[in-house]
Amino acid sequence: MSRAEKLRRWLEKELGGNLISAETPFPGRLFIDLKREALTAAASGLMNQGARYQMGIGYDARKDGRGFGLVHTFAFDRDSLLVALRTFAPGDNPEFDSLTPFIPGAGWSEREYQDLLGLKFRNLSDRKRLVLSDDWPEGIYPLRREVPHDLMPPAAEEVAFRLEEAPPGTSIIPFGPFHASLHEPAHFSVYVDGEDIKGCEYRGFMTHRGIEKLAQTELTYNDVPFVAERICGICGSVHAVNYAQAVEAAAGISIPRRAEFIRMVALELERLHSHLLWLGVAGHLIGFDTVFMQAWRIREKIMWLAERLTGNRKTYGLVIIGGVRRDINRESSRDIRSTLEEVDREMQALEKAILKDRTIHRRTRGVGYLSKEETVKWNLVGPVARARGLKIDARRDHPYAAYDEVEFEVPVADSGDVWGTLVVRVKEVYEAIKIINQCLDRLEKLSKNEPLAVELEGPIPAGRQGLSLVEAPRGEAVHFVLTGNENRPERWRVRAPTYPNLQAVPSMLLNNKLADFPIIVGQIDPCISCTDRVLVVENRSGKARLLSRQELENISRAKRSGR
Amino acid sequence: MKVAAVVINLLYFLLLAPFLEGVMRKITARIQSRQGPPLYQPYLDLLKLLGKENLNAAGHPVFRLAPLLALASVLSAIALLPLAGQSSFLAHSSDLMTLIYFLTLGGFSILVGALASGNPFASVGASREMMTIIMLEPVLAMTLILGVVRAGSLGLVSVTEGVSTNRGLSYFLMMAVYLVALQAFVSRQPFDIPEAEVEILEGPYVEYSGPNYALFRYTLNLKRMFYSWLFVAGFLGFMLPGNIILCLVIQTVLILALFVLISVIGATHPRFRMDQALKFYGILLLLALLAVGLGVRGW
Repeated sequence: MSRAEKLRRWLEKELGGNLISAETPFPGRLFIDLKREALTAAASGLMNQGARYQMGIGYDARKDGRGFGLVHTFAFDRDSLLVALRTFAPGDNPEFDSLTPFIPGAGWSEREYQDLLGLKFRNLSDRKRLVLSDDWPEGIYPLRREVPHDLMPPAAEEVAFRLEEAPPGTSIIPFGPFHASLHEPAHFSVYVDGEDIKGCEYRGFMTHRGIEKLAQTELTYNDVPFVAERICGICGSVHAVNYAQAVEAAAGISIPRRAEFIRMVALELERLHSHLLWLGVAGHLIGFDTVFMQAWRIREKIMWLAERLTGNRKTYGLVIIGGVRRDINRESSRDIRSTLEEVDREMQALEKAILKDRTIHRRTRGVGYLSKEETVKWNLVGPVARARGLKIDARRDHPYAAYDEVEFEVPVADSGDVWGTLVVRVKEVYEAIKIINQCLDRLEKLSKNEPLAVELEGPIPAGRQGLSLVEAPRGEAVHFVLTGNENRPERWRVRAPTYPNLQAVPSMLLNNKLADFPIIVGQIDPCISCTDRVLVVENRSGKARLLSRQELENISRAKRSGR
Repeated sequence: MKVAAVVINLLYFLLLAPFLEGVMRKITARIQSRQGPPLYQPYLDLLKLLGKENLNAAGHPVFRLAPLLALASVLSAIALLPLAGQSSFLAHSSDLMTLIYFLTLGGFSILVGALASGNPFASVGASREMMTIIMLEPVLAMTLILGVVRAGSLGLVSVTEGVSTNRGLSYFLMMAVYLVALQAFVSRQPFDIPEAEVEILEGPYVEYSGPNYALFRYTLNLKRMFYSWLFVAGFLGFMLPGNIILCLVIQTVLILALFVLISVIGATHPRFRMDQALKFYGILLLLALLAVGLGVRGW
């Protein structure tokens, strides 16, 4: 009996009348609807059976008379199964039980919907704002239907995030949003006693621009992949592919084989340049700029390769629903192979230099340690989790595209520190090269006449749920799509790998030295733009408009002079 | 002639110090597969900084005075040095203690400036700088004391010459210790901890800009050159010929070679953490003491 079947029976027995439905519309997914009272029982039951919490999704379903919806998703990695628990609360009393007492990693998701939808959570200990800026007026919840996507409440003066006081015996060192080692819009208020870190508080989401809202109100299904790609400055294809997969799953579309392999090549190319970028940044953060320069020199070859293949160094613009837009022909296939050969050779030289350097060992071993238990508790993903002995990888556990047809290793380390993440990432570079070469082998054998994308037959039916995973370079990225009526998703939720990983950073920082702060935060390769879901898009009446430099200058001048 | 020696000494250091930084940057760039700035770039940087508005971010007079004091004390130390083996005009009224005094004063001014700025990063940098001074000044002192032991005098000329008169075990041990400590004296990786850009944003200098910062930069350049000069004049003094011009030329070449070494080590090592560096410095200090002990025994 499969895990999904077992779970269904267990839920029927445990919840009785509180279980409304449990469906498996396509393999590897179990969508459950239950009554609000049963949420805690069901979630804790799933956790007890070894589930890994992924994310929460809140949405406004008042239009259908169902109030507010809340979905929590869980992964059973050994059984290739994702479970989504959906509950509804009436619009006038949108209160749910908080999962934080037994899943601390659910805290951010719940705070997010407290901000964006006005949901309330019983037993949520930290009720501070997470997503909304501090001068956003009370009582306006931007993800609610009646709030327009371009609402701009007047900025308020003299409102600031209320940071906690430093515990006695410590002082505060502020890191970010402007700091040489944190090139991201985030703020850490770090409590130090001398040079020892005794705790910290995080304030992020400084650049939240409401990309999900935009997709739900302004864009169409096939616009979204291009917007999704711009969520992240590194792993754009991850989000584009992920979104497309979620929609395809919901609509029951299967894409051509050729497209699957081309998507994989794009994803693995991104992993290559992302890991090399990280390696360089890590070197820079421990004061080793030569590693930084050399790693980025190697990375540059991949950027040029991407430019030759897609016309862009990144943001490939490759993915649409139902397939891809560009082919990889024999010639580009040869080009990729020869570039990868070079990268492989140079990477080996760099690896040798790094692994042998005793000072690097001293700066990374035992630094930013987190035990395996804590890793499970915070639901960490990606190289950060794999460095702590957790063998999870969405490519292996929940195969998408054609990952079940290629051979690759999932490197794992058990040192639980920065050193482990470094080793895992270096090894993954070679695995990515291996995967791309296998994809090229398969592409060369496939018929050239096969279409790159399927023609969609009719509109995508509304009200279906799609849940998709992609193993981004930083870890598992999750997309949830609820299909809608107006040729656009009713709800689209993005959870980037940094979202869970960042929540565990305070635990990793504890009792380390201040000098290690940059590399400890750096080890998760924080992608704040993924987490905040930034978008700078000028979007009026559904048409994208480009601003010329002159126009941009005029706007900013007008703003400064208060006009 | 002796007055001229002081002027020549100062000019020699003032003119050459930024160039040496240029060498350092060029070599680092080459190791990192970069083109690197032209060798004269540090002069331009200093000029540019000097042309900026002088901001007193802290609003404290000490903040403004600290860079002046730092530069003045390093220049004073340099004025005392015997250039090319020639005793300076100031040598009569100064000795080893004066030199150490001026050097410590230079380090002290950086601390005071950092603390006056009131910036939390600066105070972390200052505490790191303080620990470095406490641990490393003795290494410098031991090197000179080895010269004192050999020469039997506190005069600067005899001390610098004295270091290399007897090239026994103590000489080689002290040379090794000094070479390692040199990387910290000139604050390059793995010992550029007080400045550590990615951690504490250049530490003590974070609030400094414009001419104030230019003075600190110049001080740092001069200090780097001073410590390299001391190595050449002390440990390699026996190689320098008597002819003043020839001596200056060879000395300059040796200092350049030393800077190449410093740059290569700096570019191929990550930064230590303070606690790791302190252990390291402790070992250096013990070895330096051992070398002096050996020197006293005549080994």
